[in-house]
Amino acid sequence: MLSVHNIVKQYASHRALNDVSLEVSQGQIFGLLGPNGAGKTSLIRIITQITAPDSGEVIFNGKRLNSDHIAQIGYLPEERGLYKKMEIGEQVLYLAKLKGLSTAEATKRVKYWFEKLEMGSWWNKKVEDLSKGMQQKVQFVATVLHQPELIILDEPFSGFDPVNADVIKNEILELNRQGATFIFSTHRMESVEELCDSIALIHQSKKILDGKVADIKEEYRNNTYWLEYDGSLPSEGYETLYQVIKKEEIRNKIRMKIQLHPGVTANQLLYYLLPLVNIHRLDEVIPTMNDIFIEKVKPSQN
Amino acid sequence: MNKILLIIQREYLSRVKKKSFILMTLLTPVIIAAFYGIMIYFSLQGATSTFHKVAVVNNNSRLTEKLNSGKNISYTYFSTSLQDVKKNYIKEGFDYILYLPDFPLDAPKGIQLMGDKQASLALNSKVANDLEETLRTQQLKASGIAQQDLDRLSTSIDIDTMKIDENGKEEDSSAGATTIIGSAAGILMFMFILLYGIQVMRGVIEEKTSRIIEVMISSVKPFQLMMGKIIGIALVGLTQFILWIVLTTAISAVAVQFFTGKDKVAQTMQSASTLNSNKDTVKAGQTAAGSQQTEKAEVQDKLTESGPVAYVQKSLAHLDLTKIILVFIFFFLGGYLFYSALYAAIGSAVDSETETQQFVMPVMMPLFVGYALSLSVISNDPYGPIAFWLSMIPFTSPIAMMVRLPYGVPDWQLGLSMVLLIIGFIGTVWFASKIYRVGILMYGKKTSLKEMIKWFTYKN
Repeated sequence: MLSVHNIVKQYASHRALNDVSLEVSQGQIFGLLGPNGAGKTSLIRIITQITAPDSGEVIFNGKRLNSDHIAQIGYLPEERGLYKKMEIGEQVLYLAKLKGLSTAEATKRVKYWFEKLEMGSWWNKKVEDLSKGMQQKVQFVATVLHQPELIILDEPFSGFDPVNADVIKNEILELNRQGATFIFSTHRMESVEELCDSIALIHQSKKILDGKVADIKEEYRNNTYWLEYDGSLPSEGYETLYQVIKKEEIRNKIRMKIQLHPGVTANQLLYYLLPLVNIHRLDEVIPTMNDIFIEKVKPSQN
Repeated sequence: MNKILLIIQREYLSRVKKKSFILMTLLTPVIIAAFYGIMIYFSLQGATSTFHKVAVVNNNSRLTEKLNSGKNISYTYFSTSLQDVKKNYIKEGFDYILYLPDFPLDAPKGIQLMGDKQASLALNSKVANDLEETLRTQQLKASGIAQQDLDRLSTSIDIDTMKIDENGKEEDSSAGATTIIGSAAGILMFMFILLYGIQVMRGVIEEKTSRIIEVMISSVKPFQLMMGKIIGIALVGLTQFILWIVLTTAISAVAVQFFTGKDKVAQTMQSASTLNSNKDTVKAGQTAAGSQQTEKAEVQDKLTESGPVAYVQKSLAHLDLTKIILVFIFFFLGGYLFYSALYAAIGSAVDSETETQQFVMPVMMPLFVGYALSLSVISNDPYGPIAFWLSMIPFTSPIAMMVRLPYGVPDWQLGLSMVLLIIGFIGTVWFASKIYRVGILMYGKKTSLKEMIKWFTYKN
């Protein structure tokens, strides 16, 4: 539903985005990853039409991005803000009406969401009287209220306690089931693992990795396993099968991290081990997004 | 368009609902009315100020003409010695003793005004005046001029200033009132533009520091947000101005009624006591002659025929107040738009209000200069070239034109000035919007003027 083609954005002496392209399809939860200053926010600002690219284009539902699309996009910026002196209910209504909702429709939906997220008593409170987490909740409601097709969340969980983070996560999943597409910008890799279908990794103004999370993980599998056993293995003879990365002894058991040589399967390993030791555990080490992120970003940073 | 309306509505309502706005709007007319009332009160007070009874001891055989009692003073001649009068004057209800020793008429000296209280400066000069007049009258009479000729000579002079329009028709005008109205309108304009211009700047900074700006800009165009804010705040200013006029008029009317009514009672009492205790006075009882009804009419008369209030009222009647108010509203809106756009640009370029100083100064300078020059140069020479140019250049025209207006400005000049102001604010709004759209999304960078000029050339 959203295609970003060869976007370039240049600020005075700094190129924020260098030929970035990516593809978000309908109903996805898409993770936009990257270290600080990589250009994520610049890209989001282009998608939300806050700024325009120097070159390249954004296609939304088959059409070049234009001001009609504003009502179909919801955006929760990383730097949250509300009018401090304004009452909550009034404020959310105002933001909803700016997205093109009628007063009646906006009122109905605000009431629905306030009810749902247990914010009913907040209507007449001023923003400055709320805690930071409460303000985040208000902003989340303001972001999704107009039922946008595409919801862009920049670090949506920062500032939430675990309970509320969970509430928001469930809302995101429910909206996603109802058909909303999400773009997530975050550093928190565990939420990427949990929520995202696809990701793009932006680093130093360039996209350096993208694709489905499962595919990327598959690609970054490197035949590494955790092995736990008791008994003793011969000190020789295993070299043709694997190399030991880490070895430690825990309460009469030995735990090892091993990497199988290319072409060697887990079955072959078991076949070799079974007569020798009691196996307690054999786990493949699937790289986490965190590992992949660090691996991709680290070397080029120096 | 619809979005601009929503923004205007929010900017307007959020300000009008504030306690400080309501307080300011209601309190200012009360203060103005109170001033107005106090002015009336004192002018009436002056008209019926404390009545003095003076016992006169005349030891001067050459001075035969007697002092005439006046509105607030009565002179009673005693033939007894000064010592006797001194003993008894308080008992007999007198406040002061005027002692006239034996002096040659062309060199009066040794005259004394005595009393248990120190005579005020005003009383002293009043008595001196009366005495001088008496002396003069006597000497004129001595040189053979009849009383009726003297009466004819004592006229008071009052110059009416008139304006003649191009058709030769005379218009009554009053230099004093014109200056007052002009300066007042100029000061008000200056305050309004400054006050509301800075509100725009604060509003922009608030949006920026509270970081709501990104949410807003993902819904509306920066230009819509800026214009919505500017127009919304303009309406707040207009509301305040109109409420001030309506409330001031209403409260003043009530205040006039109040002070007039109260004074009526005071004066009646005063006059009554005068009548009872002073049978020798010549004219003092005059005002108490009628019933309370005529009494009140008389006070009203005094109000209209003399005193500063009457003067202002009379002068106001000659000025086209409606025109002044309408022109004021136009120039307030124009001048405000002109400046507030610049303030919006400044607000967008900084991260906090403390950083605004370096930019606010250059923007405020022309306004200050216009203000200072308007009050000095224009008041002295409302038709001179400086006055003309100041009232044409949009930077100063809102103030300068208001100061000039009560003196009468040719229609073509007024029209030209208005057109130039419109062109001016379209220019500043355009200029400001280019800076604004970049500035509002810039954080943490200290902005210089050079930087702002660079933003100006950014592609959207």
